[in-house]
Amino acid sequence: MERSDIYILCIEDEQEVLDAVVRDLEKLEEQFPVETATSAEEAREVIHKLLDEGKKIGLILCDHILPGDNGVELLIELHKDERTHDSRKVLLTGQAGLDDTVRALNEARLHHYIPKPWTREELLEVAVKLLTDFVIEQEENILPYMSTLDAGKLSESIRSRRSISDE
Amino acid sequence: MKSGSSGLTTIQITGLFLGIFGLILPFLLPLGTLSFAGQIGLGIFLMAAIFWMFEPIPIYATSMLVIFLQILLLSAQGPMYMDTELPSAEPAEIREHTWQIPTSALKDGDTVLVITEPGKTEAVRVDVVERNGRHVIIYSEELSADQKIVEDTGHRLVNYQPNNYTDYLGTLANPIIILFLGGFMLAEASVKYNLDKNLTRYLLAPFGSKPRFIILGLMLVTAALSAFMSNTATAAMMVTVILPIIAQLEPGDRFKFGLALSIPIAANIGGITTPIGTPPNAIVIAALTDYGISISFTDWIIVAAPLVIIMLVFAWWLLLALFPPSGDRFKMDIKSKLDTKPKAIGLYVIFAATVLLWITENQHGIPSSMVAFLPVAALVTGRILNKNDIRNLPWDVLWLMAGGISLGIGMDKTGLAVWMISGLDWGAMGLITLILVFALVAVAMSNFLSNTVTATLLMPLVISLHTSGVMGEDFNLLVTGIVIAVACSLAMALPISTPPNAIAMSTGIIRTKDMARVGVVIGAVGVMLILAYAVFYWPLVTN
Repeated sequence: MERSDIYILCIEDEQEVLDAVVRDLEKLEEQFPVETATSAEEAREVIHKLLDEGKKIGLILCDHILPGDNGVELLIELHKDERTHDSRKVLLTGQAGLDDTVRALNEARLHHYIPKPWTREELLEVAVKLLTDFVIEQEENILPYMSTLDAGKLSESIRSRRSISDE
Repeated sequence: MKSGSSGLTTIQITGLFLGIFGLILPFLLPLGTLSFAGQIGLGIFLMAAIFWMFEPIPIYATSMLVIFLQILLLSAQGPMYMDTELPSAEPAEIREHTWQIPTSALKDGDTVLVITEPGKTEAVRVDVVERNGRHVIIYSEELSADQKIVEDTGHRLVNYQPNNYTDYLGTLANPIIILFLGGFMLAEASVKYNLDKNLTRYLLAPFGSKPRFIILGLMLVTAALSAFMSNTATAAMMVTVILPIIAQLEPGDRFKFGLALSIPIAANIGGITTPIGTPPNAIVIAALTDYGISISFTDWIIVAAPLVIIMLVFAWWLLLALFPPSGDRFKMDIKSKLDTKPKAIGLYVIFAATVLLWITENQHGIPSSMVAFLPVAALVTGRILNKNDIRNLPWDVLWLMAGGISLGIGMDKTGLAVWMISGLDWGAMGLITLILVFALVAVAMSNFLSNTVTATLLMPLVISLHTSGVMGEDFNLLVTGIVIAVACSLAMALPISTPPNAIAMSTGIIRTKDMARVGVVIGAVGVMLILAYAVFYWPLVTN
């Protein structure tokens, strides 16, 4: 499996929880390198470093309670930044109140909300679904992603968008 | 392949430089009898062939570049040939059979070129009697006073009458391209209203749930759809059909290899069935049409369908033998509901009417390219397709074919094609060997290159074998053209051979070695079958 330049970013202040998220995403890591951050500030640094290297952020999994700016604020900011506007955004939390959640939905166009505790299957399923959407929307050649992501959906997009022609 | 900083791989960069070198190479080598225009044509040919092989730019971009270079360097209006005329002189008769001509009119010390018609000359051997500076006195019994001879035998118009630039540009509106446009618009509408998916479910239903018949059904439906739609879109759609079946199999079950391979195989083979099935057919038909050989939609099906059916049945048997089914039955999701909105109904009517008119071309005589404008006009008139749908058509494929047709025109016109075949003693080969060689070369090449490109590169050679007459009277241009078209579509040993192969491989279900094994057998059996058809069947049905 060839590494793509699409990254997954996990932001979580508790190291054990962060390790658990990364472990659950192991199956995808071969193709989608996983980067981590423990605060909003660190997340910004990681994102800017990756973007400057020409990488893309495909998926952002973010806890709500973080030191400094909270998760929802960070996601809203990333949604407004055109370079991370298209990244798929997931709030992975047990502690976001209704107000914050509503803000995340309305202002950050949150793609998914995963309440803690989560199961590995659930997390993987969400990650695969969102990365599939991201790849269909952003990538010119989607064939390299067929074997890891949702092959049916990717094939369907080849059919309907004719991204590959007869030659 | 590793990407360089410019985004091109090392191989692509190599190809880029090789291609540019190929463009100028003919001017660095002594090429004997090849005219100046032929040298330009050869340069364009080499560049295109190298670009198509290494793909430093997309293959459709190479096609567009070919047309650009042709209008620039070969057309009558380009800077190379505008305002030029072939300088001619009349031989001055000194006494009987003895003439005075300009020194520059004498070629190789013993030949003058008599202008027979615009752009054509005939070499006449002469004996030099005396040279005096700017003139030469020659003796010839063949010359006569009313003839014009070429004054400058090294002139770039010798043996070349440049085409109008519109001949090259016009390839995009070549009747066969319009036929494809009609097909593309029908396919576009079918996808938009899910006709392809729903039709698939209806057609699969009679094949039941037994594994071996499921594969047969999948293959027949895939082939039937790809006969009228893009092979690639059909394969992508069918992948969505087989994934739920494969999900029912145990992880180690080898039957999944057969299932996943059946789709690209059937899509590749199915394209052979009709003129619009796949782009190589267009290249062959366009080249034949240029020589006044027309083949109707009906005739093409009569020629191709029997071979397609035998190949499909053989591939079915091969897949079952290699990857025997394990389970007894599969659950098939064959619920299907045709869209009944008025626009969808409109599409069904237009689709049915067009296909009916196409396949009955022999009965009513209206050319299929004219019929193709029925869906083009009707689908937009009925607002079944809108502006965005039209933008979404595979224009790259139309340009790819247009460039291929244009390259063929240039190769023929500049005398390049005839020059290229002149090095070999083709006549000694015999017709059957010739067909075998062409079929083998076409299958081998198109395993690595685009099928359309393979047809583009080989077709001019076939044409010049005909025009030069080296193969004698028995050479059948039509049959040899069909051999090329069919052989190009039977190459499927590698993931890069065709886009349907690439899609099937990228699902991760099959291994390259399975694809290679099955593909090589199909290619080999295909070549034998082509040979048999070319000798026994096609001559009967194409007279």
